[in-house]
Order: sequence, then structure tokens, then C-alpha cells
Amino acid sequence: MIMSIARRFALISALGLFLGGSVAANEQGVTSNEIIVGALGPLTGATAFMGAPGRDGIQLAVENINAAGGINGRKLKLVFEHAFTPAESVSAAKKLVEQDKVFVLLLASGSTGAAAAADYVRSVGVPTFNMFGTTSIIREPFAGNVFHGQVTDGPAQAKKFVQRIRTKADAGSKVGVLVGTYAFPQSTLKYLEPELKAAGLVPVVEQFDQGSRDFTAQLVSFVRQRVKAIAVLGSFSEAGFAIKQAPEKGLVDVTWVLDGSGVNDAMIPIIGSENTRNVIGFSNFPYFHAQADEPIKLFREMWAKRYGSPPPGRPNMYDTVSYGDTYIVAAAIKAAGSDLSWKTLIVAWNGLKDARPSQLGGVDVIFPESFTPRDHQGNKEMGDAVIKDGIWQVVR
Amino acid sequence: MSEFIMLLLGGLKFGAIYSLAAVGLIALHKATKVVNFAHGGLVMLGAFGAYLWIVELGYPYWLAYLIVPLIIGVFAATLEFTLLRPLRRADLFATITATIFLGIVLSEAYRMAYNVEILAVPVFWKGSPFFLGDVIVTRDQFWVSAGALIAGGISIAFFRYAPAGRSMRAMASNVRGAQLCGYSMDQMTGLAWFFAGVLAGLAGVFAAPSKGVSPELAVSIISAAFVAAVVGGFDSLLGAILGGLILGITETFAAAYVSSSAKGAVSFLLLFVVLLWRPEGLFPERAGRNV
Repeated sequence: MIMSIARRFALISALGLFLGGSVAANEQGVTSNEIIVGALGPLTGATAFMGAPGRDGIQLAVENINAAGGINGRKLKLVFEHAFTPAESVSAAKKLVEQDKVFVLLLASGSTGAAAAADYVRSVGVPTFNMFGTTSIIREPFAGNVFHGQVTDGPAQAKKFVQRIRTKADAGSKVGVLVGTYAFPQSTLKYLEPELKAAGLVPVVEQFDQGSRDFTAQLVSFVRQRVKAIAVLGSFSEAGFAIKQAPEKGLVDVTWVLDGSGVNDAMIPIIGSENTRNVIGFSNFPYFHAQADEPIKLFREMWAKRYGSPPPGRPNMYDTVSYGDTYIVAAAIKAAGSDLSWKTLIVAWNGLKDARPSQLGGVDVIFPESFTPRDHQGNKEMGDAVIKDGIWQVVR
Repeated sequence: MSEFIMLLLGGLKFGAIYSLAAVGLIALHKATKVVNFAHGGLVMLGAFGAYLWIVELGYPYWLAYLIVPLIIGVFAATLEFTLLRPLRRADLFATITATIFLGIVLSEAYRMAYNVEILAVPVFWKGSPFFLGDVIVTRDQFWVSAGALIAGGISIAFFRYAPAGRSMRAMASNVRGAQLCGYSMDQMTGLAWFFAGVLAGLAGVFAAPSKGVSPELAVSIISAAFVAAVVGGFDSLLGAILGGLILGITETFAAAYVSSSAKGAVSFLLLFVVLLWRPEGLFPERAGRNV
């Protein structure tokens, strides 16, 4: 049967649209001169201490990468969505992927947002980089499109915690665990309690709500139990106020062990520089922000040039981690070549070995990251942290 | 026993801060009939002012207790003059609603301007704690508890006996009558806002070392001050002080002997119990007889 010209044209157009649409779906967020990078995180609310620095670190890296010529002839464009609650995180992820058509999604939201967005990013298959979340929900079950950067997972953090605690508490000792009821502390607690028991230590767990400033109940419990050390799973301000209030409750001569989010120079004014003797921690990155080492000094200068005189506590770990991890994403995009698609990006990302910012002109303020098709945890290294000369320093 | 006493002292410290914040809230209500939901925002600004004065500018700490409250007082009076005075022609509900959103604006404006999680302010009175047997009392505990309560007491005396305080009460009692006596409503309202702002600023300076400076301070303080005011009696300044102390101590003991999550619940439980059993508050002001 001879088709009319019009029907033939319509058929060919429809076929072309279908094929063209299929190709566009794999290359969304990519044009001949631009790659759209989406990111989400809390700019307000109790966890804004992650999201705002996360955005700033990503923006800084994007601008520097673009100033150096972009990646394979394409410039990066950042689209950042605020997301504080779990519902907002899912909405933001959907908007970025489906409306803004981002090519890759960065989660600068911590464990709460990462956990909320986990199912969605797995289902849609967008290459996703979890920058701050330790929660197992974003990590398990394993997803080929989800990668994790500088911040290590719960089991690794728990092992490190115990290693630090054992330097101050012998087997058989009671160890207080002061843990926030929100996502990331609970995620770490799940692994920390069994690790403590396996090390012959007796955990005494006390919980607090996010943003707490009064730790009377918890500290009184620790006094009753005569704990030798206290591990704090929470933010630096929560840790700081707990440590500050401890003497008022009769809790003296205990060692405080903080995780990566507790270790922040802004904590020192809270507790007073004269009270730092018994406070130790660990870090997921090689330098703290006030250290004199060249890379972090360069980063501070770069940050100040871009954002002005930093307020107290800035730049913080979320600035440096998001900056460094954006370079890792850029390295993966570069390795994927000019023919960009989600598939080629994921394949390239799986092949990254010892990727670092300096490979693309950045400053090495993070540990190198490596990925394989079955292991998407980029960094596994952690350093011991102590307060020396009034600032946190990584001892390596 | 030592644990009990230390908990009591800890509750007194936070209670004293609540008391001072509640006195400001009640004083403004007594003078203008307005419940100022932006009071927490003013406390937050007082705490921020303390940070700027002591940490950033490095000026003498003791002066912060004088200068910062005065600045916050002027700011509060300016807010009333520019934003709330035009609403006075509308009903009271409009003014109160405006204060709710004003409080939100103050918190979020601070967050946008100073985007850090928290700012730390050192304690006023440093040094080793006092030991009373097995009881440990830190110098900060002693200073905040005593200082805030004394400040609250002085405020009550001012409001009750000073000419400016009496004129504010006269205006609140009978606007027409006070005007006929020569009092200016605009002036008295401005003065009331200034006075409340001073108290809010002072509460902020006392609260800053214990609670840090953050946008969340505004909400936590206004909630506690409101509960303290209702518990003590919404027309009673003395009731505000006692209500604040009761709240602080109750929260602390609930946290220590029940659970930390009970701390928030107990304050609202206290509120409901008082509203159901004695809605005028535990220590209402006695009404004078009309003769």
C-alpha cells in the first residue's frame, strides 16, 4: 500500500523523535559546551552547617575547573537545590533530574537527605555522588550508579572510633556513647556498639535530639556509670556543649572522642581552649582548616578570595570535602571522554585510581579516591586528630 | 544527694535565663497588651551582640551587659515605631500576628547574614569551680543564676515603682484615662518596647555562653519564656520569674530522671496542667479592689 506523503513524513518524524528522545535521555544535561551538575543540600535548618558549605565548596571547584578550561571543552554549570527534610530531599532530587535535566547528581545533604533520596536515585539510574552521608541506606543495597567520596562508611568509622578509644580506655572499661537521634549518628551507632563490645569495652548509650544544648540527662547517666571515655556522635556544637557542661555535672577526667563531624575548630571556643586536653578525634581528610600545611593554606586563600572574610568555623570540612569531591566527579567526566552518557560516566568512574584534585589543577585537600565496579567507596583513609596549639590537627 | 543538688543548680541556671526572658515578654504585655512573638528574635540578637562585643571587637566583657541590652532596646523601639505602630489602628490580632513573622524575619535574616551553625561566647567568670562537699558549682553557673535573677528583680522594681514603669502600667490599665493625665500613647508604647528590648538583650547576653548564638536560639527562648509566663501568670512579673525557675528545674529533673526526650514534653505538660487547673497562673497578680 502506498502511504501518502504526509503519513510517511509523520512516521519518519515520529521515529526520529523516538530515537532522538532516546539519545537525549542518556545525554541529559550535556550539550556541546556545557555539562549540568545538580546538587542538593540544606541551606537552612539544623543541618545547614553541611549544605551551605557543601554548596560553596562545589561552586568553588566548578568555577576553578571552568577557569582552567572546563572538561573536554565543556564548562560545568551548577544547579543547587535547597533540601532540609527528607521530603524536600526527594523533591529536590526529582526536580534536578526530571526538570533541570542534570547529568550528574551530588548529594551535599548528609545522611538524612541521602537516605531519603536513595530509592529515587537508584530507580532512575542517574550517576550520583554521596559526599557526606554515612548512612547505610544510601550504600546498601549496592547500586551501580551511586558513588561515595571522602567520608567513609559506618563500619570504618566505628573501627576508627574504637581504635582511638582504646588509647585511653582499657578493656573492661565503661565507655559512654553520646549519640544524636538523627540519621548519621544512628548509622554510626549501629556499627559502633558491636565494635566496642568486641574490643572488650562496655558501651553506655545515651541519646539526644538534634540541636540539643542541654545534656544534663546524658551526663548524669555517665557520671552514675563512671565511664572512662565518651564517644560523641553528633555535630561539633553538640559535642562542644556536652563537653562544656560536663564539669557542672561532676564529670571530670574523662576522655572525649569525636568523629569527623565533631572535629571542627569552631568547637574550641565553645569548650574554651583551656579545656582541650582530654579531647581527641579522627578525620576523613588530611588537613584541618587552620593547619599551616600548604594545600589547606592555599584552599583558605582561594575560599577567602571567592567568598570574602570567612566567619568563624568556615571554611569547614564540608567546604573542603565538597570542593575536593567535585574534582573527583570532574575526573570521572574527563575520563569518560567526549561521548558523554550516564553509562560512559559510570564506566569511567569505576576505573578511577588515586584520583585527586591536582590532576585537574585543583588543590589536594582530600585523600586520593579510587573506585572499582564493585567498590564505590572512594576514600578509606582516616587520620588521628588532636587539638594542638589551639587548633585541630591531623596526625598522620 | 550531691547529684540532686547539682541538678537543682543546673535547672536554676537555665531557669534564670527563662525568667529574664519571660519578664520582658510580660512587661510588654502588661504595658501594651501585645504578646510579642519576636521577643525570642530579640534575645537572639542580644546573644549575637554579646558575641560581636566580646569576641569580634574584644571590648570589656562586663560592658556587654550594659551596652548590648541598650542597643537591643533601641532596636526594639525602632521596630515598633516603623513596623508595628501603623498596625495599632487594626485590631490586636494583626499586631500579634505581625510579631510572629517579625520573629521569623529576625532569625532568618541573621542566618543569611551570618551563615554559621553556631557562634561561641566565652563565659564571663572563668576559673576553677567551687566545691561544696561533693557538689561542684561552676563560676558560670553561679554568675548566670544570680545575675539573671537580680536583673529580673531590678526590672520588676523599675516597672512597679519607677515613674516610667508606673506610666506604662497606667497606659495599659486605662488608655483614655492615662491620656487625659497627659501621657502620650506613642511615647509609652515606644518606652515599653524599649524596656522589653533591653530585657531581651540582657537575657541574650546571659544565654550566649550556655546556648551559643544561632537562629534556633530565638525559637527555644520564646517557647520557654511563653511557658514560663503562662505558668507564672501572664500578668505577673514575679510570676514570670518564678515560672521560669519552675520550668528550668522541672525540665532538668525530667531529663535526668525520666529521659532527655521528656525534657521537651514536660514543659508543655506543665503548661497544660496549669491552664487546666489554674489558668490565671500559679502566682497571678492580685487585682486591686475598685472603690
